[in-house]
Amino acid sequence: MALKHRPATWPWYLLLAAILIGLVTGLWVATKRVHYEWRWERVPQYFAYRAEVPQESPIAGRVSAIQADGALSRVVVTPADGGAPVVLPVETVQVAVGDTLDREDSVGDNHEWRIGPLTQGLWITIWISFVSGLVGLLIGLITGLCRISDNPVLRGLAVIYIELIRGTPLLVQIFIFYFFIGTVLNLDRIVAGIGALALFVGAYIAEIIRAGIQSIAKGQTEAARSLGMSAFQNMAYIVLPQAFKRVLPPLAGQFISLIKDSSLVSVIAITDLTKSGREIITASFATFEIWFTVALLYLVVTSVLSQLLFWLERRFARSD
Amino acid sequence: MIEVSNLVKVFEGRGQTVRAVDDVSTAIAKGEVVVIIGPSGSGKSTFLRCLNGLEEFDDGRVVIDGIDLAGSKTNLNAVRREVGMVFQHFNLFPHKTVLENVTLAQRVVRKRKASEANQKAMALLTKVGIAEKANEYPSRLSGGQQQRVAIARALAMDPKVMLFDEPTSALDPEMVGEVLDVMKQLAREGMTMAVVTHEMGFAREVAQRVLFMDAGRILEDAPPAQFFTAPRESRAQAFLKQVL
Repeated sequence: MALKHRPATWPWYLLLAAILIGLVTGLWVATKRVHYEWRWERVPQYFAYRAEVPQESPIAGRVSAIQADGALSRVVVTPADGGAPVVLPVETVQVAVGDTLDREDSVGDNHEWRIGPLTQGLWITIWISFVSGLVGLLIGLITGLCRISDNPVLRGLAVIYIELIRGTPLLVQIFIFYFFIGTVLNLDRIVAGIGALALFVGAYIAEIIRAGIQSIAKGQTEAARSLGMSAFQNMAYIVLPQAFKRVLPPLAGQFISLIKDSSLVSVIAITDLTKSGREIITASFATFEIWFTVALLYLVVTSVLSQLLFWLERRFARSD
Repeated sequence: MIEVSNLVKVFEGRGQTVRAVDDVSTAIAKGEVVVIIGPSGSGKSTFLRCLNGLEEFDDGRVVIDGIDLAGSKTNLNAVRREVGMVFQHFNLFPHKTVLENVTLAQRVVRKRKASEANQKAMALLTKVGIAEKANEYPSRLSGGQQQRVAIARALAMDPKVMLFDEPTSALDPEMVGEVLDVMKQLAREGMTMAVVTHEMGFAREVAQRVLFMDAGRILEDAPPAQFFTAPRESRAQAFLKQVL
């Protein structure tokens, strides 16, 4: 008999499948009980839609001819004073030959693709998270370095900042930042939102970076200093590059949290993905569909980021 | 080259103080190879680390090439450029290739051009017999190879003095020889060296002087022939009986 014996795993997969089917069935039964009517067909238009754009006549005059040209029609407007006629291509014609037009009267409609509120909200969420993540990283780096500094002023300020941020809810911080600091400094709501998120994530990143720096063996610093490198050069060339590599996984987790936490800026009327979702629901009544879609969009963004950082981590692992 | 007078280093911790280096005075001349031996905890590594200011000492003076380490106007970084150091655990930079390990300080401290630094690095890596590993990361190298890279890294700064802190203690026995060979070659070329080691063969063969330390003090300072055959101090006699 072999020492290594492997119990069959397929019954467990079967159980997993059964549980998942059970959950989906439960969800379906639950929506049945509240008599919810699914209207998934309403969702795509909030990503992108065909907008009707009226074609206005730039001059006053008479419609002298309408020529069909495939799907388009060309409306020819001849000015009353006998100048050169103007040709206006439209998809749907709303005038007839012989009609008199004033300036800016509509002759018909064209259609064009427009970005819907969900896409717009998604973009705002990505943009806000990206900028506040970048600023937060900078704040975290500086604070992390201050935190391990020998100077009591720098160290004290860093500790106070970190404790204040980590000890209060983000929602309250956003309100304070917007209503107090924002009013005093006359900040735009986007700036206030990004500022609050950056300060929030910066405190957590500071602790991650501090731990990363302290995890690098003292021998590295001793070797660098023995070669005549300054404390700054030692940090820049030796300690921080190694520390960053080591803290990449917790840093990735922090950035993923940031994307999710950015949904809280919707309380100060920034139209991010969450607020877009709420606005769409008041117009469409497709409550469940929109919230599921919004959740899925957050999931896509965080998954892409997590894959990106995983790839970065593997690249850094070359020297291991 | 190195003058040490009344050096004191105190470690304080949990209510007890240890005088790791206790009123040590000595001098190392240019081109001299001095081996420092002694039982563990005798303060020999701490003493060595005081010589380039890696360990801040409490009292006394260390003068390197005419510059007082504790002088108020002394730029410690400038002194350290002239003092190469090799560590027990190599302390290579793991995120840099072998070549980058040897060129980094040349470029950022000595401000040499990349081409000049590379040339110098390759020459030194050839000298320590490891040029073919230039583009590998340190983790791919054996202990002996890593230590030879560390020696090349220190030499790349054109130091006037080389300090070796138990350079072979962390090596597998079969790799000790390759590192000692490089050190012997350096000694033959006239490098000023201070070596903390347990390699008595090396001390006997290469050193001009042996310093025996115990409890933070230099108890013996003698040429190896004299030290190994007729140590004066009873503690040196006991130590030699155990290691030889």
